[in-house]
Amino acid sequence: MKKNFGLASLFLVALPMLTGCGKSNPILIWVGTESQEFYQTKLDEYVANYNATNDKKFPYAIEVKGVDTGSAAATFLDDTEAGADIFTVAHDNLGKLIAGSSGISPITDTSLLAQIAADNPDTFQNVIKGKVSGTEYTFGVPYIAQSLILYYNKAYLNATDVETWEGIWAKAVTHQKQALSLTGTDGFNNSFLLLARNVADDSTSLQLYEDASFDNCFATGDDTVSKLKWGQRFFTGAYGARVPSSSGWEVELKDELSLSVIGGAWHYNAALSSLGADNLGIAILPRFTITEADAYGTSVAGTVYQSGSFTDTKMLVMKKGSTKADYLQGILKFMSSKEIQEQSFEECANLPAYKNALEEFEAMSADTMEAQLARCQTEMFSHGIPQPFGANSKFNVYYYSKGAPELIAAILQNTGNAYSTDQAILDELVVIERVWKTGNKEAA
Amino acid sequence: MPQEKNLNAESAKPQRRSKSAGAFFQKLGKGFVGFFVNIGKSLAKSWDNACERFTQGSIWTKLSHLIMGLGNLARKQIVKGCLYLLIEIGFLYIMIFSPKINGTPFGAKAIVNFFTLGTVEGDIFTVGDNSMLMLLFGVVTFGMILMFLFAYISNLKSSYKTDLDIARGKKPTTIREDWKSLLDQRFHVLMLTPAIIGILVFTVLPTVFMILIAFTNFDSAHPAGLELFDWVGFQNFRDIFNGTSEISARFVPVLAWTLVWAFFATITCYAGGILLALLINKKGIKFKKVWRTIFILTIALPQFVSLLAMRNLLSSAGPINQILINLGIIDQGIEFLGNANASQANLVRVVILLINMWIGIPYTMLMTSGILMNIPTDLFEAATIDGANKKQIFWNVTVPYIVFVTTPYLITSFVGNITSFNVIYLLTGGAPTFPGYKAGYTDLLVTWLYKLTIDEAEYNIGSVIAIFTFILTATGTLLAYRNSKAYKEEDTFQ
Repeated sequence: MKKNFGLASLFLVALPMLTGCGKSNPILIWVGTESQEFYQTKLDEYVANYNATNDKKFPYAIEVKGVDTGSAAATFLDDTEAGADIFTVAHDNLGKLIAGSSGISPITDTSLLAQIAADNPDTFQNVIKGKVSGTEYTFGVPYIAQSLILYYNKAYLNATDVETWEGIWAKAVTHQKQALSLTGTDGFNNSFLLLARNVADDSTSLQLYEDASFDNCFATGDDTVSKLKWGQRFFTGAYGARVPSSSGWEVELKDELSLSVIGGAWHYNAALSSLGADNLGIAILPRFTITEADAYGTSVAGTVYQSGSFTDTKMLVMKKGSTKADYLQGILKFMSSKEIQEQSFEECANLPAYKNALEEFEAMSADTMEAQLARCQTEMFSHGIPQPFGANSKFNVYYYSKGAPELIAAILQNTGNAYSTDQAILDELVVIERVWKTGNKEAA
Repeated sequence: MPQEKNLNAESAKPQRRSKSAGAFFQKLGKGFVGFFVNIGKSLAKSWDNACERFTQGSIWTKLSHLIMGLGNLARKQIVKGCLYLLIEIGFLYIMIFSPKINGTPFGAKAIVNFFTLGTVEGDIFTVGDNSMLMLLFGVVTFGMILMFLFAYISNLKSSYKTDLDIARGKKPTTIREDWKSLLDQRFHVLMLTPAIIGILVFTVLPTVFMILIAFTNFDSAHPAGLELFDWVGFQNFRDIFNGTSEISARFVPVLAWTLVWAFFATITCYAGGILLALLINKKGIKFKKVWRTIFILTIALPQFVSLLAMRNLLSSAGPINQILINLGIIDQGIEFLGNANASQANLVRVVILLINMWIGIPYTMLMTSGILMNIPTDLFEAATIDGANKKQIFWNVTVPYIVFVTTPYLITSFVGNITSFNVIYLLTGGAPTFPGYKAGYTDLLVTWLYKLTIDEAEYNIGSVIAIFTFILTATGTLLAYRNSKAYKEEDTFQ
């Protein structure tokens, strides 16, 4: 008995050590979970086509794995050796991926570089490049675009109401509901006010790491103070905007506590589930008008601002030192091609990064909710900027993780009545600007 | 006069306490010194034994110092001898040739890398040194050397034992006899070896690795494999108290709340559990088993399910708020579990303590019920004969007995609450947030540690906090346990 027990125990101990044996080594590709099946099918076709048109067989199997693309860069950096050969990241992760000696390889294939240049808007072409040891390279291949838009409840709001925040707010007061729910107070989801631009001349004084420089951050312009004063009224006034609650925005939308929510394409399914196809409306982010109470310096009453958004691209990048490097750029070219982007939109509702998608992709002008989502996002591209954090790994950290978003949230909510004066708001904006530049709240 | 006596007794209390604390630290110091003295003695003894083996052993034992397993091979203990030889060959191969895993070498090179943490920065097309793997492989190599030393000494002992067996006219043991002995007299060795190896590999090694990270600048600015990081001594520890970062600003408040939480979470569950057990076990209470079962159901449900259910019940648009609104008690939902509004921090703290009672009390209740049913009846009889009334019996017999038996539980419960990740993470995620900082009002050291490492990749500071958490829990446990009656008077209730 003892003997059997002893041997069984040892076997059990040894078993996990044996389970890793015999694994094959395919080309591993990480894409968003929603697109896994689509890209696996397409890449199987790619391999079949390669085998049919070449003398030799494609030497690897291709395995497409669905992952959370928001955390793919962090997962990759946790263990670069175990990371995928090709993976999807938002472009603002580029800085941390190319920090030091870079964890990803630059694109060198001239035909792929030509395709990137021909198919993508200039804004995307700027954010997929980065400098390593003083030399600039192109690292990413854009293939999906995204921006924030407005989801609203059509039972209470019509298309005219959602053109302005004031329109939504007025209806909210009438119905005694909250005008807006936020999905988060992080620097991304509360950026719609900071990134707002003057409609008259499409201007803003706000600067975020322009020309990839820490010094080129500016948050203390008159218009920024004025926009935040307006925001403070919106967030603290009755039936205005509400910061994320413990219930979650989905419940607030579903229970009709709030009439609208700012979200991305990744919130679409949840918004649809909350409001249903009949009541879900989709629009670009609304405008707002500065009143006497909000005016500050040169930003006078009556100035109209268009809410802004980070208008980003998801891009495919290649692991540095991959043993299958010779085959990766061909795959990238295929996955980011116009045809595949169009099919990806039709089958997975992925907004194409392709610059003429609105005109050339038939499915984008269809009378469907998905097409409306795509059109609104595309329209938001003229009111936003790509997150300018890709050039340096610290940009992202300073902007998001050193407390600046929480300070903006505090101004908007007038936490502890500490931001009731223009000077108090301005003082905090000085701190926020310092955080963006140095990562510290206190002056050196 | 008696009043004066009382006053004297009162004033003597703090003195006694300080004496007891002094004695404790004296004892701790002695224990600390004694630990190293014992190690020294043990090493000296081992050295004597080694000398004896070398001088008294046969030529084969002497040669086993160079070629492991030779002493066994020469006596036809082929399997054992080959095993030792293979260990030596394998060890020398790894040390000399330093094979690479993920581009980072093991063996002798790993020891050098352990100190340098890499020198090759790499470029855009070539991979540079990975400081994190170098640190890890360095620790593993040191562990491997220790294990090799263990095998080396075992090889000498085995050869010398064979010498002695032969000298005594015995036959050297065969592999079959050794295996039989492992399944019989030395069964504990067979069973404990995998467990000890498991502890070394899965507990000791990661712990040592984690502690070492606290002395490096491995953070978000130095991602492993992309940028080299380096040893920085005690800089991270200094930053906790001197820096201008979030860490130094929020460490003390988070630590203070962690201790407050641990204290109240422990005491409330403990007292609540005892009261509930006393109530259920009271004479005259009907359906005792049913009541007990109902409360045990809370334990049967996975804790995270209970916590998430509570979170939904108490959310700003949840059923409880809806009921309060419908009753006209409030106009809009209360953020019981926090959002960005810092003014409600204390409310949120109280609410999570109450929820913690819901999931914690049944454990104490169950344990105390068992204790209550097993208090020796002669204690009650003796007290009754001595004329004690019910109240006196309760305070002088029942309560001391329960406290005595449950003190170790109380201590582990306190330590468990210091590292109570689930409750905080699932209920509030640390909210409400402190303006401008990641660490919120309800964050404990462990939840903050999670944010720092998983969300922020600040591994070095995370390690420092983990070390502080360990020191806190270890010291708290030791102090409380060694000063408890359960430790000092362990024979009292036997």
